[in-house]
Amino acid sequence: MAAGRLTARTDADLIQASKRGDLSAFEQIYAAHAGRMKSVAFHLLADRADAEDAVQEAFLKIYRASGAIQFDSGLAPWIYRILLNCCYDTGRKRRRQAETPLSAEPPAIPGNVPLQVAIRSALGRIDPQYRMVFWLFEVEGFRHSEVAAILEIPEGTSKKWLFEAKRELKKLLTESRA
Amino acid sequence: MTFDCKDLNRALAVPELLPDAREHAKICDACRRELWLWNEMSAAAPALREEWETPDLWPKIRQTLVAQQKAAKPPGLAGRFDWRIMAAIAAALVIGISVLIMHSTRPAPAPGAPQDSDFLTEQTLREVERTEAAYRASIDKLTRLAQPKLSASENPAAIAAREKLLVLDSEIASVRSTVSHNRFNAQLQADLAELYRDKQDTLKEILQRAQ
Repeated sequence: MAAGRLTARTDADLIQASKRGDLSAFEQIYAAHAGRMKSVAFHLLADRADAEDAVQEAFLKIYRASGAIQFDSGLAPWIYRILLNCCYDTGRKRRRQAETPLSAEPPAIPGNVPLQVAIRSALGRIDPQYRMVFWLFEVEGFRHSEVAAILEIPEGTSKKWLFEAKRELKKLLTESRA
Repeated sequence: MTFDCKDLNRALAVPELLPDAREHAKICDACRRELWLWNEMSAAAPALREEWETPDLWPKIRQTLVAQQKAAKPPGLAGRFDWRIMAAIAAALVIGISVLIMHSTRPAPAPGAPQDSDFLTEQTLREVERTEAAYRASIDKLTRLAQPKLSASENPAAIAAREKLLVLDSEIASVRSTVSHNRFNAQLQADLAELYRDKQDTLKEILQRAQ
């Protein structure tokens, strides 16, 4: 399934067709978004199996709710809002099942590690709201308008939180490399 | 503008100042390193994206959707007036009203003993706790009935209701914890009853919207 297949039909067409029960149209929506959705879910849940479960649950909800979609801010923000809710539900279930807390204090960043490894480690230590904006904007490549729509925050807040995220990361990375 | 090291953070927040920052970085090692790191974070970030193959995922989703399509039947009259929902709402209402009556008919405080009136007697407390337990059980039942409807919907009202229930549950847990250390405090019991009432109203709205 290549994402390129999506070009012939718009998001609105695909959702309309999905509403009529056309699963091949829905498959195109899946093909266009599932990869990035898995990555976002993995970022939140830190487990591939959980991320896949969350994505599966999200697509089932998207299909059921396709009649209620508002296209004001496009399909992607709506899809990712549903995904985030599914991730939070999965996270809550997992926390209830776990005998020990999963969100232990992340380890300090060791010096002399590749920058990507250091960033990943530092991300675990910054404010979760800033981290989410950093992830959506810098890692997943969403625009600020899309990040704002996904997180239901003003666009200015998205920009401010990205700055704060990078400022906190820079501080942590500078300390670890000093 | 005369750019100084202390201006760097402001320049990172205001893109218009970045050319000045870059100019300054040519003669300042510390700022050059900071500027490099700032840009490098953005350059390195896309590589953090997690990608892996999941050839089974779409078939699983498709299979579930097909099964759901087959199972879907138009709701009949009985479906719209689910007796379990109606019974749960009725039970919650009866118990809720009992709690309200108990609070409103509590004897007025004696003029000479205002402090004592803030606390419950052992017997009254037992009644309140029994009623609260029954009320809680009713609301739990209502929650179980509302949960599938709430989870299935992604419209803004359902999302808002879900968030409100989370807040209420957290508040209820917090007040119940306080009550467990101060069982005779009438105000805390009243606060708890108020939260339960709010939760019951929210659940009722969800069920009514779903019908």
